[in-house]
Amino acid sequence: MTDALLTTSVGSFPKPDYLIKARNQLARKEIGREELHRLEKQATAEWVRSQEEMGIDILVDGEQYRGDMVEYFAENMEGFAISGLVRSYGNRYYRKPIAVKPVGRGGPITIDMFRYTQGLTSKPVKGMLTGPYTIADWSFNEYYPTREAFIMELARAVHDEAIDLERAGAKYIQIDEPAISTRPEELEIAMRALGIATKGLSVHTITHICYGDFATIYPKMLELPVDQIDLELANSNYDLLELFRKHPFTKSIGLGVVDVHNHRLESVAEVKAGIKKALELIPPERIYVDPDCGLKTRTVEEAKEKLRVVVQGVQEVKKELGLN
Amino acid sequence: MITTVLGNYPKIGFPKAPNLRTALNQLDQKKITEAQLKEVEDEVSKATIQDQVEAGIDLVTDGQIRWEDGQTYFARKMSGFNINGLIRYFDTNTYYRQPIVEGKVTWREPISVGDFQFARANSSKPVKAVITGPYTLARLSKNQFYERFEDFILDLSAALNREALALQTAGATFIQFDEPSLLKNKHDLPLFAEAAKILTGGLSAKTCLCTYFGDIEGLYPKLFDLPFHAFGLDFVVGSRNFDIIDRFPQDKELGLGIIDARNTRLETIEEIVEAVRKIRRVVPSERLFVSPNCGLEFLPRANAYNKMLRMVQGARQAQKELK
Repeated sequence: MTDALLTTSVGSFPKPDYLIKARNQLARKEIGREELHRLEKQATAEWVRSQEEMGIDILVDGEQYRGDMVEYFAENMEGFAISGLVRSYGNRYYRKPIAVKPVGRGGPITIDMFRYTQGLTSKPVKGMLTGPYTIADWSFNEYYPTREAFIMELARAVHDEAIDLERAGAKYIQIDEPAISTRPEELEIAMRALGIATKGLSVHTITHICYGDFATIYPKMLELPVDQIDLELANSNYDLLELFRKHPFTKSIGLGVVDVHNHRLESVAEVKAGIKKALELIPPERIYVDPDCGLKTRTVEEAKEKLRVVVQGVQEVKKELGLN
Repeated sequence: MITTVLGNYPKIGFPKAPNLRTALNQLDQKKITEAQLKEVEDEVSKATIQDQVEAGIDLVTDGQIRWEDGQTYFARKMSGFNINGLIRYFDTNTYYRQPIVEGKVTWREPISVGDFQFARANSSKPVKAVITGPYTLARLSKNQFYERFEDFILDLSAALNREALALQTAGATFIQFDEPSLLKNKHDLPLFAEAAKILTGGLSAKTCLCTYFGDIEGLYPKLFDLPFHAFGLDFVVGSRNFDIIDRFPQDKELGLGIIDARNTRLETIEEIVEAVRKIRRVVPSERLFVSPNCGLEFLPRANAYNKMLRMVQGARQAQKELK
């Protein structure tokens, strides 16, 4: 039978203590980039092993070599300066990049780490990129006269990276656009940008969106030029499903079933209930089950527990429904 | 012409104050106590005020260093609320925990008064008190209790009026109510007018209604009839405000939010002078507050400081040129 209720993750995993320590040591120039890179690969290999042991279907590299999802790309592109820290919520901060010159891709950004990770496993590894709209929206702009000009320039850079990922063997490419639900009046621009980024790709494409007023961009959002939209459902008590009752969800869905910003571990029963709610509206072969968002803000142990609950919930639902 | 800031300020990045981010992590890991955290917050609040005073700001705030966000800071201490998951704050890349209203909203105890008193005792300049307005607090919350949204707003207005009165009793002479959500729901102006009466009842302190993230098209000119002494408006995102406003009441003051608090690009002194020149046709400079368009916490601390410095330079230049 076809694949149903495949399990995956949204992207980031927490870094082990030795890697956090090494990143601090690099900042203090106590170790070199090579030593840090060796440890990043070690942590990536550990996460690949953990995901395989848990029985996850589509793996991620866990972004052990990335700080923030926008900062990482800005640091590895031309035209950006990196500023001081700004707060995003609670006690979380990031360095918000500043576009100071024309921005663009100097060379491949994520390809080496993708090849390395895919080389560790026979399961598919997702290629993970941050989308043009989000990079622009989460940066300061001191150079471009309009937001649109800034966004489209970034779209061309992200497209080049996505093409390189496909050539390197990626079967799934996820281009995260968490900022896309921010301004309904700019949805058109964001869609056009994502269209440029995904143009000519033949692999399964995904975009992850979170924290927004979906009522204002649904069902228009279904026109996003990707195969799958990954959404946080657990954090909003599955409220989004109500929108799907009024207008069917026509794409594949990445179904977030555990809240990533909460220490509390969901029960398997909660996860199962969430999956079953979605199954009332979307067939199993179009549902990919995962946490709401990247798990990097949890501890390593919390992240693993949350992933185990996701996998166990899926396995039990599949068994009950005779899905394999 | 008075220079002011709207409210929040970066919480970290001070050369001489302890790091609040580290302290909060330590509290999370139970390595320090609540009392030790409070000491750090005190030091950072003092550093925030110091930054403003050094930059030449005339009317300062406490920087809202102890606020996790504008909603939970008030909702946590009122009856009727619970706190839900993270949700995006307007079109910014910042998030807040969404209050859920699960019962009748009432004021229980002073919320911001202690923080205000601390700021006043540690500032050589007058301190402005800031309250998240009832309309915005209601719109940004999830209502699971009130059958009619109006009842929610009116109860919240009464509750926040108690807070304003408590601030006044504690010595506040200038109280600002932040209502960015009003710009996103302009049809609700009549409801807000009713709320505003309750909100400002019994207050002799100077009050300011502050809106940002948009312009007042559709609210003008009725907005200025509301019972506030001053109106703070966004002239960056809402740059159309320059064209919209051609009359302004003679007994009221205008907050001219012309410094972009959401981008690092520094305004030139000429741009600031030009903005003052444009608005002077409608409001004379002695009834103007020059400010950023919203809170400065969207910027890293060094950029926020430089923005204030530039704003003060620009305002002084405008005063000189436009006498």
